[in-house]
Amino acid sequence: MLKFYKPKQNKKINRVISKIRKVDEVELQTLKRRISIAMGVIIFFMSILVIRLWFLQILRGPKYLKLSENNRIHLEWISAPRGNILDRHDRPLVSNRPYFNITWRKEDSTNPDATIRKMAKILKVDISEILKRIREAANYPPHVPILLKEDVGWPTLVYIENHHYDLPGIHVEVLPSRKYMFGNLASHLIGYLGNINEDELKKYNGIYLPSDQIGKFGLEKLYENILRGEKGRRYVEVDVHGFEQRQIMEQEPLPGEDIKLTIDLNLQKTAEQAMRGKAAAVVVMNVNNGQLLAMASSPPLELQEFIGGISNKNWQAMLDNPLHPFINKAIQGQYPPGSTYKIVTALAGLSENAITPETTFDCPGYMDLYGRRYHCWKRSGHGTVNLKKALRESCDVYFYNVGLKVGVDKLAKYAVSLGLGHKTGIKMAGEKSGLIPTKTWKERRYKQAWQEGETMSVAIGQGFDLVTPLQVCLMTATLANGGTRYRPQLIAAIIDSNGKVTKSFKPIVTGHALGTPQYLADIRAGLVAAVNEKHGTGRIVKMDSIIVGAKTGTAQVVKLAQYRHRPSTKIPYKYRDHAWFTCFAPAGKPEIAITVLVEHGQHGGSSAGAIAKVILEAYFQDRLKKP
Amino acid sequence: MWQFDRRLFFNFSWALLCTLLAIIAMGLANLYSATAGHGYSPILIRQIYFYIAGFGLILAIISVDYRVLISLNYLFYGLVILLLCGAMLFGKSAGGAQRWVSLGLFKLQPSELAKLSLVITLASYYYRKDTGRGFTLKELLVPTLLAGIPFVLILKQPDLGTAMMLAFIAISMTLFVKLRWTTFIVITLMFMTIVPLAWKFGLKPYQRQRITTFLNPEGDPLNKGYHIIQSKIAVGSGGELGKGFLHGTQAHLDFLPEHHTDFAFSVWAEEFGFAGSLVFLTCYTFMLLLGLNIALSSRDKFGVLLAFGVVSLIFWQAFINLAMVMGLLPVVGVPLPLFSYGGSSLLTTMASIGILLSVRMRRFMVGTA
Repeated sequence: MLKFYKPKQNKKINRVISKIRKVDEVELQTLKRRISIAMGVIIFFMSILVIRLWFLQILRGPKYLKLSENNRIHLEWISAPRGNILDRHDRPLVSNRPYFNITWRKEDSTNPDATIRKMAKILKVDISEILKRIREAANYPPHVPILLKEDVGWPTLVYIENHHYDLPGIHVEVLPSRKYMFGNLASHLIGYLGNINEDELKKYNGIYLPSDQIGKFGLEKLYENILRGEKGRRYVEVDVHGFEQRQIMEQEPLPGEDIKLTIDLNLQKTAEQAMRGKAAAVVVMNVNNGQLLAMASSPPLELQEFIGGISNKNWQAMLDNPLHPFINKAIQGQYPPGSTYKIVTALAGLSENAITPETTFDCPGYMDLYGRRYHCWKRSGHGTVNLKKALRESCDVYFYNVGLKVGVDKLAKYAVSLGLGHKTGIKMAGEKSGLIPTKTWKERRYKQAWQEGETMSVAIGQGFDLVTPLQVCLMTATLANGGTRYRPQLIAAIIDSNGKVTKSFKPIVTGHALGTPQYLADIRAGLVAAVNEKHGTGRIVKMDSIIVGAKTGTAQVVKLAQYRHRPSTKIPYKYRDHAWFTCFAPAGKPEIAITVLVEHGQHGGSSAGAIAKVILEAYFQDRLKKP
Repeated sequence: MWQFDRRLFFNFSWALLCTLLAIIAMGLANLYSATAGHGYSPILIRQIYFYIAGFGLILAIISVDYRVLISLNYLFYGLVILLLCGAMLFGKSAGGAQRWVSLGLFKLQPSELAKLSLVITLASYYYRKDTGRGFTLKELLVPTLLAGIPFVLILKQPDLGTAMMLAFIAISMTLFVKLRWTTFIVITLMFMTIVPLAWKFGLKPYQRQRITTFLNPEGDPLNKGYHIIQSKIAVGSGGELGKGFLHGTQAHLDFLPEHHTDFAFSVWAEEFGFAGSLVFLTCYTFMLLLGLNIALSSRDKFGVLLAFGVVSLIFWQAFINLAMVMGLLPVVGVPLPLFSYGGSSLLTTMASIGILLSVRMRRFMVGTA
């Protein structure tokens, strides 16, 4: 039996206890009342808690559940490999390579300041550079990684991986980046990527991350939505320190589609090599469908510089380059067509019955109009000139006469029908339209009446006339194929990552040259004569087994008399004439048209013609070897 | 004549014991979850030892007539004050506060004991002095001093939460015994002048910070407001039925701080949802109401005051802790009695329950002597 307490041990306590009085009835009632109040108070306060729980768990439950999910689940994006750019024979011009970015997730960093200071040292960049990037990213949600440095090298990468635990929140992001298989080849067509900016992020809401690269120029920009593919997602559970616990779900990325160009790698390469060191443009077109086999502008863009973001210094250097690498001269350079325009004047003369191929004019080396003397390029004169001779020797006086007979507005009509003076419709950004003047144009533009003398200038491709090399090539192709004007085509097909063609592009006819095929044949004969006969201006491209037709051109940059007839080396570079050379081959059944422009290259026959010749040799390489 | 009395057994509150066991079971399950991932954590084992020690304590207390406390109270009170001074001079500091005194086996937190000692002291003082006419301001001087000394000592540690607890207990008990209306009004007025002054001079910057961040936790989500935000997320994300035992992500992935001590209830609410929280709150309320019922059943006024004081001691801690966890009150370091990990708090609470049981058992004894 338990014995709880022995009071005998302590008399005093026993005495106290024994003195305790029982509560009397009145007091009991008051105590009862107060205890009831206390019970009420407890129930009241506990009810508050229950209501609060109801509010948090039932009413706001879904919201807090989402917050707790956001806490623990991180979404990791997996970049999709970007599509390749291929030449017409599926040879890649641009592919991908892995590329390591350093990113930082602020919410995972316990001591952001220390981490940033460490990273500045590791990445060997100034801390202000890093802080600038962080400030720019201030508006992003905290789980979005901030890009600290692009394309770090192996030593940095290894160091960061080894010190992973000292650098909370720092992540290495592996991105497929661009690999340019042939250096700067086709740089103006391909274009480049750059870090996405705020506007682009907003424009493509949700598709890109702030650390992404996006096409900024060229086909990379124009076909961004085809090349980029679709990002994969990976949902992982992380603890409060950001360490991954397990993977919840993964969705594979969808690779971007390849773009197959009509460009022929070999011709493009040949053209660019031939232009090296010059400010020049080359366009090579299949005359029978408008496909571009080569289109190049020199100097090229330094594509490698753009990987990981171009530095301000290099950017400025490219901007300041007097040869203007940023301009794609094939479609953005606008030059007077020079003597290549004589094709237009000849076609207009024939079609408007101003001349026949047999019509002759006398060239004494000049022509007078209203008391002003207009010279032929050959001061000694060409003598009696018919159409063939005029085209062969590029007699200015002959075309002065034709131009005056036809008039500027008719000239313009034929120029437009051959593809000059308006955009060709090639799928590239920034194409210029050039300019083919008419009387009404001049009145609108200058509020002045057209002068007869201006018609003479226009007839030989000077004065107001402005064309792009692509337009001249299109004109030559239209002439060569008998009058069908195609839209210059650069993209042959789009191919998905399994090699299936998802879209192919057919030639598009945009119009026809005015005039009969016979007139076009007459003009072609003149151009063939220019290459193959004595005194021809295009003799530089003469080949044994392939008959070529060509027209040279010299586009005056300034009309300053002081520079006339000086030796070319004595004229300052920027005042030297531009050189044109446009040709087609083979004459019997034309396949390609080649147009070359060399800025400040002076006489078309030599500088531009030399480039055209190399390309012709490359294109007809197999046929030339035959005995 | 002081041999075991059968009536002691028949008057034992089995209901209170069962409720206590139920709450302890929930507390242990919750602590297991809160410290899971590491097997049976040493924390869980220690807590189980404390529960066992607590039952030993209860057994010891119910075997003694609670009325001995009337004469022992100043001894107990003096001891606690000494311990508080000891904590201040030689105490172990944790989190910037000196709260613990090492007693070899375990580190005692004298501030926890102080709560219980204040209840006993005030109960015996009011029992002796109550004339039924209500207390005047002058008569309240002694109880104010009795509560004030430990209050100041604990505030200096600094432990705002426990100090406030003492104030709540003292105020509750004083209101429970009768006050004169004039006294009540004067005290209220004094209180209203002292609070702003205390805000300015009495509180440490971190304590002020806690209150300001409570008012606007989202203003500083990474530092001071973090506790409140994460706790609310944990509780709220439990929804109707909870995420399931051991599946609370907030606690298991360490987003929720202090999840085995002050924020233990968040873990429970996250894993068992509104339903589980309701079960817990019902048990708890039931236990408190049983305590008040025991106060009512006592035939002597000391027993009434003692039981009431003990209930108010448990209630205020529970309420403040739960309100804090649910984001209704600022984060003050108050544990949830019987639920949060911590030996001193647990033993104090078990002793309190022991006192309640003791009062209940001896309801028939008055007047028999």
